[in-house]
Order: sequence, then structure tokens, then C-alpha cells
Amino acid sequence: MSLGGSETAKKPYVSIDDLYRKSTQFQMWSFTKSALEETKKKANENGTKVAKQRLLNEYNNLKESNRTLFEQYPQELNIDTIFDPLTFEEEQKYLHFYCEKIITTADFFNMATQVKATAMSFFKKFYLVNSVMEYHPKNILYTCLFLAAKLEYYFISIESYCKILPKTEPKDILDLEFIVLLSLKFTLLVYHPFRPLYGFFLDFQAVLLHPSPLMYDVNVDKLGHLYNQAKEWLNKYAIISYVGFMFTPPQIALAAMYDIDKRITNKYLQRKYLREQLDAIKEEQDEKKGQDEQKHQDEQKHQDEQKDEEVTDDNQSLESQQRTQYETIVRTIVKCIRIAKAETQTSLQESKDIDRKCFFTLNPAKMMNKKIKKLSSGTE
Amino acid sequence: MTEAETDTENVPQSKYTKDKKVGEGTYAVVYLGVQKHTKRKIAIKEIKTGLFKDGLDMSALREVKYLQELRHPNVIELVDVFGTSNNLNLVLEFLPCDLEVLIKSKDIMFLAADIKSWLLMTFRGLHHCHRMSILHRDLKPNNLLLAPDGQLKIADFGLARGLGNLNEDLSSNVVTRWYRAPELLFGAKHYTAAIDIWSVGIIFAELMLRIPYLPGKDDVDQLDVTFKALGTPTEQIWPNVSNLPLYNSLRVYPPPSRQELRNRFIAATDKALDLMISMTQLDPSRRCNTSQALLHEYFTELPSPTDPKNLPKNKPNEPTVESNGNTTKRRKVE
Repeated sequence: MSLGGSETAKKPYVSIDDLYRKSTQFQMWSFTKSALEETKKKANENGTKVAKQRLLNEYNNLKESNRTLFEQYPQELNIDTIFDPLTFEEEQKYLHFYCEKIITTADFFNMATQVKATAMSFFKKFYLVNSVMEYHPKNILYTCLFLAAKLEYYFISIESYCKILPKTEPKDILDLEFIVLLSLKFTLLVYHPFRPLYGFFLDFQAVLLHPSPLMYDVNVDKLGHLYNQAKEWLNKYAIISYVGFMFTPPQIALAAMYDIDKRITNKYLQRKYLREQLDAIKEEQDEKKGQDEQKHQDEQKHQDEQKDEEVTDDNQSLESQQRTQYETIVRTIVKCIRIAKAETQTSLQESKDIDRKCFFTLNPAKMMNKKIKKLSSGTE
Repeated sequence: MTEAETDTENVPQSKYTKDKKVGEGTYAVVYLGVQKHTKRKIAIKEIKTGLFKDGLDMSALREVKYLQELRHPNVIELVDVFGTSNNLNLVLEFLPCDLEVLIKSKDIMFLAADIKSWLLMTFRGLHHCHRMSILHRDLKPNNLLLAPDGQLKIADFGLARGLGNLNEDLSSNVVTRWYRAPELLFGAKHYTAAIDIWSVGIIFAELMLRIPYLPGKDDVDQLDVTFKALGTPTEQIWPNVSNLPLYNSLRVYPPPSRQELRNRFIAATDKALDLMISMTQLDPSRRCNTSQALLHEYFTELPSPTDPKNLPKNKPNEPTVESNGNTTKRRKVE
């Protein structure tokens, strides 16, 4: 979020935002909601194609050696009947199930939040490029976690790692390491919202408590509590969802605080962006009004953003520029909260069904042989 | 699972030639080559794989991790990364020389303006690393590479680390011994970008002396050498220093007087000495940061830093060009 100043004027210094915009996270792995959806769909479509080709190879081989059976059962052994790829929705549910598994696995190894969050990011990036119909997520998950532990300075040797993982050999992971790296396009630095959250925790204190407390019931303990709850929020919602691909880490950190305590966070934002413009009574009203309008505004975010730019281009008073910026921030974090919390739960049974389906798309020979065996035993 | 194993779409290795093997380290072989479509000279660092039982080498991965994000005229450029049959290849810009080579070439004279120019470029590169919250953790003359146009580039990010999380322990076993800050020598588990500032301070001294400033023979000797030159830290000048794990004050040396430093660094101006003292403060919290260093009067007083393209190069027989009007004669500064 730029400060809305004139773009032609030479900037006196490089801001943190400028640096972030140059990061690979922003340049290569940040999307609008629709572009992200599109990317996921494409991965699913590609995976479907690959799975179909894989099946076709098996199918043609088996057709050659089981000619009579195939003639006997044209319906049952029709390739289009047999081919049952994961739909887009199924693939997303399946991935979500494995995302939760990353957390339980990382927790099992007592890995730091940083490792967990980075592994999660690697895993999701991998499946923006590939499909579960190309690579089964189980070993990809383990590889991502192993790689993240290496890169976030919590190295664990491959032997002790595999010793604890069920039915996993070092080779299963090491063979995939390079493939994961390739899919990540060798971009390995991930920015998470935890550090910005800590920064906000400090700045909340500076803004709301000094020189004298702004809110009668807010003290350092209260803010500390807010900080801890926001951290939990990030662990619970932000890490597992795709908000990291759509919002900047500070936006996500603010979203966490806003969702935990809207009143305090709003006060902070107003203080920060609207300065002394508002008196207490007006703020109360705005807060109420803001709540009702936010939903509505979200839908129009895109148009609004464009409008915002036009407006700031005009010679507008500083006051209304600040107002615009404040509103944009609130709108952005509210949207972030909604997306973070919208992630669906996948039941165990559901994932088992999808898992079966996935197994067969990855191993068409097994599925075909099973089918053929069943059909030929039926004829006897 | 064979689809992505061979990246056949745009075979990246065919974009470069590997002409000459120029070096072999513990985890990599370095080749010189050319980027075909630009004719640009490049260096390819081929990371040995399969050698490590734990998969891809950590230093190589970290180097990729940080160099992908650090784009700056004074940081080595990672041109490309590609893989060939499970081999990791880093394509880096070609940098034919480094500061260590120049320091050791006793027939090359350093002007005060040359030293200033190198130090300035080092700080510019380091400032960029530090504002991205990345510590280099292995600064030494050997890792300050020099481009054909004279630009200095910070290289080798295999030990680098981002300061991403709070309260986590860091390894104090970083930085080549002679350039290791006192808090690291004392085994500090929490430290800051000030460790890099210390290293640059020692490099600054070495550029002036033309010999290593604090050449400890081993880790214990390093403490002795360091404190002999700069005084033994006490609670008074460095609060809480005695709480560090390996703190000891076996031999208490007094801090050096200004005159003693002047005698040691004969050619240094007062401003140069001020900056060096500020970089080599024993207490890390008293050391200057990169912004303060870059704004230091040393850089604005005469002589102005030498234009990079006129800096000494590693060609002993070639006469150095002097284009700066205000430069004095080239001489060894010692």
C-alpha cells in the first residue's frame, strides 16, 4: 500500500514496501483471488491430461493381451467409463487434508512455527504447478517439510526423519527434493506474518499507550493477550489457507488482530491513518457504519481500487487521502479474514474416498488388472 | 513419477557453455562459461549432489534462497539456477578477482581513495542485505569479489541467515575466525547485524595495514589477539558481557589509546579512524550500523572515493590509470 503520494516525484528512500515488491514472493507467488483459482484449475486440468495418458498406455497394453475380454465388455472396459480423475473440488479437498497433515507432522517433530509455515507454503506452491494426479501428496508433504527444516535452520537428518515417518525410506524423499525445488522455481525465501505481527504488537503499544493510554481499558497486558491470540489465529487460519498468496504478511498480521479485537485494532488504524481528525464520538459511528458496509464494499473492491487511484490523482486534501487509505486497509483485511476462515473442512471418509481415486489415477495398471480379474472371473 | 524429472521444455543448460574448470570446493565445482545469447561471461557453480546423505547441500540451498532475493549492484548476481539430472547449477556473474588477492599483491599500491571506494561499495551491498534482514555471517576479503568494471560484490551466502523469527537461537560458530566479532567468540546465541559490521571493520583495518589485523591462531588465541588490539571487554564498557557462555577475562588488556591506534594506522585520517573505531566497538550495541556508516564524514571528506573503474586491478604489470585530480601518489598504506 503506497502512501498515495505522487508517483513522479523521486522517492527519498527505498521503503520496506518497495523491497517487498521486489521479493520473489510478491513477484512470482502473489495472485488475485481469481488468478489463483485459475492457476489451481490449470494444475488440475494438466494433471487430468497426464493421468489420462498414463491410463491410456496401460489400457492399450492390456487391450492387446485381453482382446476377447475387451470385446465382451465394451461398456465396462470403455476407456471413458474407466477414467475417473479427481475433479477440481476433490483435488482441493484432498490438498486441504494434507495441509492439515503438515501441521500434525511438524508438531510431532516439535518443529518451529517457521518451519511449519514454510513447508506449508512449499507444499501449496508445488500443487499450483503440479497435480496430485502426477505426484502423490504424501511424499511431497514429507519432502516439503524436510526441505523447510533445512532452510529454516532446524535441520534433521534424513535417517532420524524417516525412522519416525510411517513407511518412508530416505530415497522416497531425497528423490523428490530436486523435483520440489524445480517446482518452487528455486525461490525459497518465504515471508510469514509472524514477524510483522510482533512489529504491530510493539507499535500498538507505542500508539495506544504512549504518552498516555488512549482507551480506558487497554493496557500492556491486554495488548499482550491480543498478540498471543492473534498468533494462535495465524496458526489456525492463515497458515493453512491461501491468504499468503493474496495478501502481504503485514496485511495478514493486521487481519489476525482485527478479527481478535476489532475495537482496539480499529482504534489503532484510525489513530495511525486519520490522526487527530476524529473525535471519539465520530469514531464510534464510523466503526458501526464500517461494519455494515464492509461486506458490501468487498464485492466492489476492484472497482473501488481503480476509483481510489483516480481520486488520489486529483489534488485532494490530505484528509480525504488518509480516509481513503484507511478504508482501503480495513477493506483489505476484512477480505483477508473472510478468505482465511472460508477454508473447508474435509472429513476423513471423504479423503479416504478421494485417496482411493487418487491412487488409481496414479497406478492405472493396478486398477485395470483388478477390473479385468473381476470381469474374467465373472465369465467363468 | 517421471514427468518432471527431465525438464525438456527449455533445456536451460544449453543456454550456457561450461568452458573451463576453475575451482573445486567441498560442495561445488566452479566453471567459467558464457551465456550464449548475450555472450556474457558467467561462472557456473555446480553443486555436487549424491555426496551428501541428507540430500541437497544446505549451504547451496541457502545461497540460492538469499541470492534470489538480493538484487543489488554490490551483491553478486545470481543469473540463473537450473538442474541437470539431479545436479544443482548456480549461474553467477563472472567476477575475476577478490580483495584478498589484491591485498596480498604487494606490488599494487592502495590509495586512501581506493580503500574508501571499496569500503563504500561493501557498505552499500551490506546495507541492502541488512535492510532485507539478512546477515551475511562470513565477510572477509576473500568474499568481496571484484568485477572487471571495478565494482565490488559481496559473495558467498552459504552461511547467511535471515532474521525472520524471534527468540530463536543462532549458531555462534559462524564467520571465519579472524573476522569474528567478540560476541561470537564468547558464544553468544543471540546476535545482530553488528557481527557483519565488525567483520567489515577488520577488513577496513586490513586494507590499510595490508596484513590481517587480528590473525588468531585458534579460537582461544583469537580472543587474546582481539583484546590485545582493542582492549578486554569489561562490564563497564559492555554491560552483561560476563553472562555470555564463553566469557573469560584471563588477561585484561587496557583499551588502546587514540595515539596507539594512530601509530598503528599511520595513514588513516581522523575520520577514517573514527569510523573504524565505531565499527570495532566491543559492545555490539555500540557499533555503528550500515546507515550510520554510509553517512559517516569519512566518506564525504577528501579524497573522494576512487571511481570503481579506476581502482587497482590484479594485473601487476599494467600501470594504473589516475584520473582523479585530487589523488595523491599511490603508496602502500602502512
